[in-house]
Parts: sequence; C-alpha cells; structure tokens
Amino acid sequence: MASTYSHEWRAVCDKFNNAQDLSEVESRKDPENDPFRSKYKARELLREIYCSLKNFDVDSPAGSRAAKLGAVEYYLGVNHVETEELSAGEEHLMNCMTLLEKCSISPENVSLFIQVRNQLGILWAGRDEIEKAQGFLETAEAMYIRYMKEDGQPPMDLTEFFVAEEEALPQQERTKRFEMAYTHTLYYLAQVYKNLEQYEKAGGYCHSTLQRQLEFNQFLPLEWAINAATLSQYYITKTLYMEGRHCLSAASVIADLAGEVPSEAAAQESEAEAEKRDQLRQKRAEIARCWIKYCLNLLQDAKKLLEDNIGELDMDRQAELRATRLKEEEEKERGRKSAVLFGSSDTFDSICGLEEKVSCVFPVDFEEARAIFLVGQTYVNQAKEYFEMDGHVTDHIEILQDHSALFKALAFFEEDLERRCKMHKRRVDMMEPICKDLNAQYYLLVCRQLQFELAETYYEMMDLKLAVANKQDDLDAHTVKKFNHLCSSSTKFYQMFLDSVRSPEGKWPEKLEDEVLRPALVAKFRVARLHSRLISSSKTIQLENLNRSLECYNFVVQYCKDNPEAKSAIETELELSEEMVSLLPLKINRLQANLASSN
Amino acid sequence: MFVVYVFRGVLIHSTLGCLTICSLSCTVSSIPCWQLKQVREENRKVVENYTSERTMRKKYYNMVEDMKGKIRVFCRIRPMSRTEAAQGGAIAVGRLDDYSVTVETSRGPREFQFDRVFSGESSQEDVFQDTNRLIQSAIDGFNVCIFAYGQTGSGKTFTMVGDRDQRSPGIMPRAFNAVFDILQENATKFDFKVSVYMLELYNDRLQDLFVSGAEAQSRRVEIKRNRKGLVFAQGAETKEASSAGELFAMFQQACANRHNAATKMNVESSRSHLIIGIMVESRNLTNGSVSFGKLSLVDLAGSERAAKTGAKDDQLKEANSINKSLSALGDVISALSSDLPHIPYRNSKLTQIMQDSLGGNAKTLMVVNVSPSDCNLDETLTSLIYATRVKTITNIAQRNLESKEIAQLKEVIMKLRSGQPVEDEEV
Repeated sequence: MASTYSHEWRAVCDKFNNAQDLSEVESRKDPENDPFRSKYKARELLREIYCSLKNFDVDSPAGSRAAKLGAVEYYLGVNHVETEELSAGEEHLMNCMTLLEKCSISPENVSLFIQVRNQLGILWAGRDEIEKAQGFLETAEAMYIRYMKEDGQPPMDLTEFFVAEEEALPQQERTKRFEMAYTHTLYYLAQVYKNLEQYEKAGGYCHSTLQRQLEFNQFLPLEWAINAATLSQYYITKTLYMEGRHCLSAASVIADLAGEVPSEAAAQESEAEAEKRDQLRQKRAEIARCWIKYCLNLLQDAKKLLEDNIGELDMDRQAELRATRLKEEEEKERGRKSAVLFGSSDTFDSICGLEEKVSCVFPVDFEEARAIFLVGQTYVNQAKEYFEMDGHVTDHIEILQDHSALFKALAFFEEDLERRCKMHKRRVDMMEPICKDLNAQYYLLVCRQLQFELAETYYEMMDLKLAVANKQDDLDAHTVKKFNHLCSSSTKFYQMFLDSVRSPEGKWPEKLEDEVLRPALVAKFRVARLHSRLISSSKTIQLENLNRSLECYNFVVQYCKDNPEAKSAIETELELSEEMVSLLPLKINRLQANLASSN
Repeated sequence: MFVVYVFRGVLIHSTLGCLTICSLSCTVSSIPCWQLKQVREENRKVVENYTSERTMRKKYYNMVEDMKGKIRVFCRIRPMSRTEAAQGGAIAVGRLDDYSVTVETSRGPREFQFDRVFSGESSQEDVFQDTNRLIQSAIDGFNVCIFAYGQTGSGKTFTMVGDRDQRSPGIMPRAFNAVFDILQENATKFDFKVSVYMLELYNDRLQDLFVSGAEAQSRRVEIKRNRKGLVFAQGAETKEASSAGELFAMFQQACANRHNAATKMNVESSRSHLIIGIMVESRNLTNGSVSFGKLSLVDLAGSERAAKTGAKDDQLKEANSINKSLSALGDVISALSSDLPHIPYRNSKLTQIMQDSLGGNAKTLMVVNVSPSDCNLDETLTSLIYATRVKTITNIAQRNLESKEIAQLKEVIMKLRSGQPVEDEEV
C-alpha cells in the first residue's frame, strides 16, 4: 500500500478533487455559448487519472485496483452522458461494469455497484428502452438489499477511492451518501414503473422514496409535503384511508417545517418575503384541500355502503358494517405495524398525534359522521383563507362545492328530517349568491355545476318538507306555500341550466354535446316532474302545470327518437317519460272534462 | 437524432395514414399494352380518391373538433435557414397536405396530424387568415388565447411578432389592427373600451413591460381573475388604447423593455415569455348589456435548455445533485390514477397563467413552429395539453341510481295505469 502515500498518488487525489470541483461547481458558471467548458476540462483530468492508475498501483490487490479503475470509468461515463455523448458514456459505464465483474461485493465497492446501474438505468430509459433500464435498476435494488442483509456496515463512498486515508469520511456521512444512492434507485424505479404503466408498483416506490427522504433527512419540506399529500389522493381512490390519512398527517407536519409564514407587513417590505409568504400559504392551503377530499370521500364511501335503493340509510347494512368494521379494525392494527410509516425521530410523534384527530374507518352513524365532517369543515375554512374569491375564483368555488358536498353527505346520516332540511338550506345559502354573481360567459362550466346542484338541493328540501308534513298529517296553507316555493326554486335552477345549453340567440341545439347530454335530459325530466308536483287548488292552474309537465316529458321522448344514440345515456328516465307521455293525457282529459262540467 | 412527440389524445385520429396503396404496375409484364394503360389509369384514380378522401376526413374531423371548442393546433414549418443549407442538413420535416406533417426519424417516417399545416411557402397573411375569426370571438366576450411554441430558432417570434423591420408583421401586430377593424364595423351598435397589459415571464417571475429598469424589478405582478371573469394583472399597469397605432406604440415600448440583450444563442429570440393581454369591454347600445372579452397573445421562450437537461416525457428525471429535490416524484404520483380527487400541483407560473386560457369555454390556438431539419418539443407541451382536460359538469347527474324520485314516479305510474285515483300533488 506504499504507493497510496506516494507523491504520485497525492497528485492523483488532487486531480480528482479538481475534476469534481470543475464538474459540480465550476460548470454551473459556464457561459451559454460554451455550456460544457468545465465538464470537458474535468474529462481531461479524469483521463489523466486513468492513465496514471494504469501505470502504478500494480502491487495493490487486484480487486481494489479494478474497482479504482472502475470508479474512473464511472466518472468518465457520467461526464460523457452529461455532455450529451451517450454512446461514449455507455461505453465507459460498461467498462466499469466489466471491471466490477472481477470484484465481489464489499463495503469498498458496493456503492459503485449500485451507482453505475443507476446511471445505466437513466441512460437506457432515455433511449426508450425502459425494460433494459428496469433490469439495471432492479439489480441495483437487489444488491442493496443483499448487502444490507449480509454486511450492513456503512460502505465507502465513491469519492473515497481518491482521497488519502486520513481524509476518509465519517461513518455517518458514508451512510448518508450510500442511502441516498439507493433512494435514487427507488426514485428511478418509480418512474420506470410509471412509464411501464404499472401504477400500483410505481405508487409503492414513490411511497418508499418519500419515506427514505424523510428518514435520511434529504428533502425540501414543501416539495415533500405536496408529494405526500398527492399520494394521499391516490390512496383515497383505492379506499385505503389509513394510508391516505398517514400521508396527509405527514404532509401537514412536514409543511410546518418549512417555517413561519412571513407577515403581510414583511411581505410588503421585500420581494423574497412576499414570495415565501405566497408559497407557504398556497402549499398549506393545497394540503388542506387534500384533507377536505379525504373527509369527503370517507363520508361518501360510507354512504354508498349504507344506503338502500332509494338513497336512505339502511339499518341492516348499518349493523352489518358495524360488525365487519370491528373485525377489520383488529386486522388493521396488525397490518399497521408492517405498513411503511413516515417519520424521522423528531416528527414521528407529531404525525401520529395529527392522525388521531380524525378517523380512518367508515362512519356508521351520525355522531361518527359529524366528527369527520367537522374536521373537513375546519380544513375548508383554512383553504378558503388563501383561496379567496377575488383572484382565485375557480379554486374558491371548488372548495365551496366540497363544503356543500360535506353537508350533503352528513345529511344522509341525520335522522331528524327538519335538521336534515336545515343542512341543505346551508348548502343553498353558500351557493346561491355565488351562482347569481358569476359571469356565466367566463365561468360556464362552474355556473352549470352550481345551477344543477342548487336545483337538486331545492328538490331535496322540497321532498323533505313534504315528508315532514305527511308525518304530521296536516298540509296547512303555510306548508303548501313553502312547498311550492321550493318546487319553483328547483325548477328555476334547472331552467337556468337548460338555458345555458342554448345558443346565444336562444336556440336549442339540434344535438346536445356529450358532456351535457345526460345532465340536460335529466334536467328536462325533473322539470316535468316538478311541474306536476306544484300544489294548487285552482283547476285551471293544475291543468296548466300538467300540460307543461307533459311538454317536458314529450321533449325527452322526442329527443331520443331523433337521436337514438342518446337512449343509452338516459334509459330509466326515458322509460318513465314514455309511460308518462301515454298516461298523462288521460289525466289531463279527465281534468279538462271536470273543469268543463263545473263551469 | 430526432426526438418525436406524440400529442396524446388531442391530435392523433387517423389510422388511414398507415394505409398504403399497392402499386399494381410492376407485375404486369405479360399483359397487353392497352390493359396496362387501363390498370395504370385505375391506379392513379385510386390514389387520387384516397388522397381526397383522406383530406375530407381530416377536414370533417377538424370541423367537429372546432365545434367542440377544444384547443386547436397549427403547425408551421419554416424554410431552411442559410446556416442549415450551408451545413448541408437534409430536410427531415415535410408537409404532406393541409393537415399532416411527416417527420423522418431514425426509426422511419412518422406522421403527425394537425388542424392546419403551413409550409415554408406560406406567408404571414396565410397564417393570420385562420386566426382572424378567433379575434371576433374575443370581442364577442370569449377568453381567447393564441400562442406560438417551439424550439429556439424555429420561428416563433417571426410568427407572433414578425421580422424586425415589420416588413412582414406577425400575428400580434395584425391582431392589433384586426381588433380595431372589427370595433369600427360595430361602432354603431356597441360602445367599446380596449385596455392592455404587457408582461414578461422571465425565470418564473412576471415583469411589467410598461415600466422599465429598477422600478420594474421592485414590482410584484400576478395574474388573477375576478368573479366577473375579468382578468387583471395585479401590480401591473393596464393602459387604455384607442387605436391600433396606439396599441402598436405600446407594444414597441414593451419590446424595448424585454430581456433580449442577455441572449447570445439566438439574436432574434429570447429566453423570456412575452404575454400580451388585450381586454375588450363592449356595451350594447340598444339594451345596455356589457360583456368582457380577452385576447391573450403569447410568445413563448425557446425550449432547447429543457431538452438539454432531459425533459423528454419517457426519460427518467435524474435526482438534482445541487438541492435535494426529486422533482419527478410529483409527476409520477399524479399519474398513478386518472381520477385523483385533488391534484395540488401548479408546476410553473406559465402553466398557471395559461390554464385560464385553456380550460372551460376558452378558445385556444397553438402554433407549433418547427424547423425543417429538426424537431424538438418539450414537456411544456405535455403539461399544457394536460391542462385542457375537461371536467365533467355534474357528477350527480351522471349516476343512474334508482333514486327516490324514480321510485315515487314508478308508483304514480302504477296507480295511473290501474285507474286508481291519484292525488294531484302526487302525479
């Protein structure tokens, strides 16, 4: 090992340091018309190192010499890839692979084993040969796992091939760099599986990557938090609420690590503070929105499990869900221990603390549903603080729509009809002013959504009012008035929606666009129904309402006759409309006759 | 090497492109001359029919797309430059017909479909003709956006702005004239107010081009929309214009304030995005109704830097060695499922700004500029197209559940059918 301390060896180490500095630091300052100047200089130095190594060091153990040469080949390979000379880069990297074949995996070289495969993975993916990339990366993954199982001591870093012994890195730093290289392997694999459309696998690798970033303290808090929050949304689509909640709790805790939000005053003072203020507020509001979706989906999914065929709470199903939930909870408790958890030593407790604030199992009754609703509502208010109406119109309205949906889901669990009705009233109160205020030309889509939802909400309230009155068995003038008011309000918003489908000249299109086909026909169908439900003591008005109703049913039937391809979109409603078209005239005739005879 | 991008879901529609017409004439040596002639004639007709049928199909397709109001994409191939010709570069990109482009790649030719294709011979007038009616839409109260896209040196600025002496002006100056021409025509029916802001997006920072120097540096500009749909550039100056000439003068002032000087690679173009917003407020003189329209004209910066750092879609994105960012992770996660309830990503200011012009009922035209000897379009394209995903109007209406209401109505029908008396309010 005498040569390690020789004068030449010192020169090699210095050259290597120089090359590293040129490649990593100097290159960033290269002019745009000569973007690779420093990289080319670094390449020259690496070549010189290679020649020197070939000439001396012959007496060191074969494996160590080969690994050293391999490391230079690796750096040369990376250098060529970075300067867009892919084939030359590939050649050097493959030389490195060949040299490594002579070695067995050891703490000295395992890092090189993994990193050269990472690089080859990137290279082949760039050539659209994803499977080839996958091969290299999966081998790297397997090597890491085996090394950690069989050896596990912190291995040497690549740069340590070229430093004097006294400058060896501390254990902690070695671990950090080695683990980082493996984190990158997983990060690349996540991308590979995404490109191969193996989304479940890709999701798993994203999760592991995030977990390792946190564990080894290699992350930017806001970026990490947003990624974790997005991952939660994926878990929600898979109804994996425990995982989703875990991601969100971690996202919230880590986003807080990004620091305090600068005050408005500070933001006015400096551009940097203003930018920071905006970033922090925006990202935190985004995470709040992911929480809203979590609460909302949990409630909605529970509702789907519990409702009967007319959308009411089914007692049998409720009992059933209670029972299965008990069983599942035990299983989950066990599964939890093996799940991939986020957290470094100082964040783990806060993440768990936040998790405890909201359930991750389906609510079965009003109390449980309400607890989830309240958490969701808190996040609604948080999100609205940043996404104000002025300037963030679309976002603000989306949040309101979620708030309304939270109420709607909660109402399902409420047994008291009066109170249920009040919840729907809250929905109307938050949406109606906005719907009236928005410019329908620019916010066509949003306006239509709001109109439709308002119409449905009024419809719901009307049904509830009637149910309450039926229970009390008295239909006084006041109730009738109220009922008719709700009925007309619902009609009004369906009508507004239908008017939005018309051309600027007020003409109804011959053919409805795909995205409005079903909504428009449903709206017509509902309007038909609403007209016939209006209560009036005057026979003339009754007749008028029935005729309007018939007109609307006729419209649905006629439209589907003219456009047979629409039938499949509205099967049930069409069938009923056809029946009504044949039956309603009889009733109208009877009423007419009645009216004539009484005159 | 060529990098070829497929415009996912937006443009590709024709499988006819793969169809080849068999040449019949090579196996007919034993056939008499008159027969040969006849076969040749038939062959020619087949090719002719095929070509015209293909053109028609594409035309109809475009008409349908147009009616849907989706983003429309034009492709403009610029002529070979003198440097390219001198280097002896081969022409690899060609216009097949009005709607398709073929690109010679290392793996053989590939065809791309566009709403319109312009070749090197097409003039600025030709390109503008097809954009003119969009300007009418803006005046009618729509949100219209026209932007050019492509590699540095592919002719974006020529398309949008024109040459330096304005001997062949591009879309922007022509649009200024067109706006005021249309306003003039309708002056008896409407009362118009035209205002404009001009911004530069440089290094993800918006800058007001109506102010210069240090003052511009200290201003924080953001593009926002209010509930009336009015777009406003918070912190930036909005100026009123009463004629095309005035508008053009402002444009020239703005151009002078741009970051042009810093660019060495391409003298004519720059690293900055130029964003011009022209707001038209019109009051109907007969009924007093007011509508707001907006025309956004955007000259995007070149994309060669992005190509250098490997921004191609299928490529793996490397870990950033300088900071701890694993930037592609977010992209992977958002791609895991097509129906994530909420996607908290707002990649860049540019996407954010453009998004308003792409979603909903906006009308958008993108001109993809390509050089005939090269073709390189980066991820911005993907993310912009991604931004056009239409959302459903009403999830509620999509469900075909046996709802309460349907159950009720079924009951009513039963009663009506059996002749039972039905309470009036139950029908």
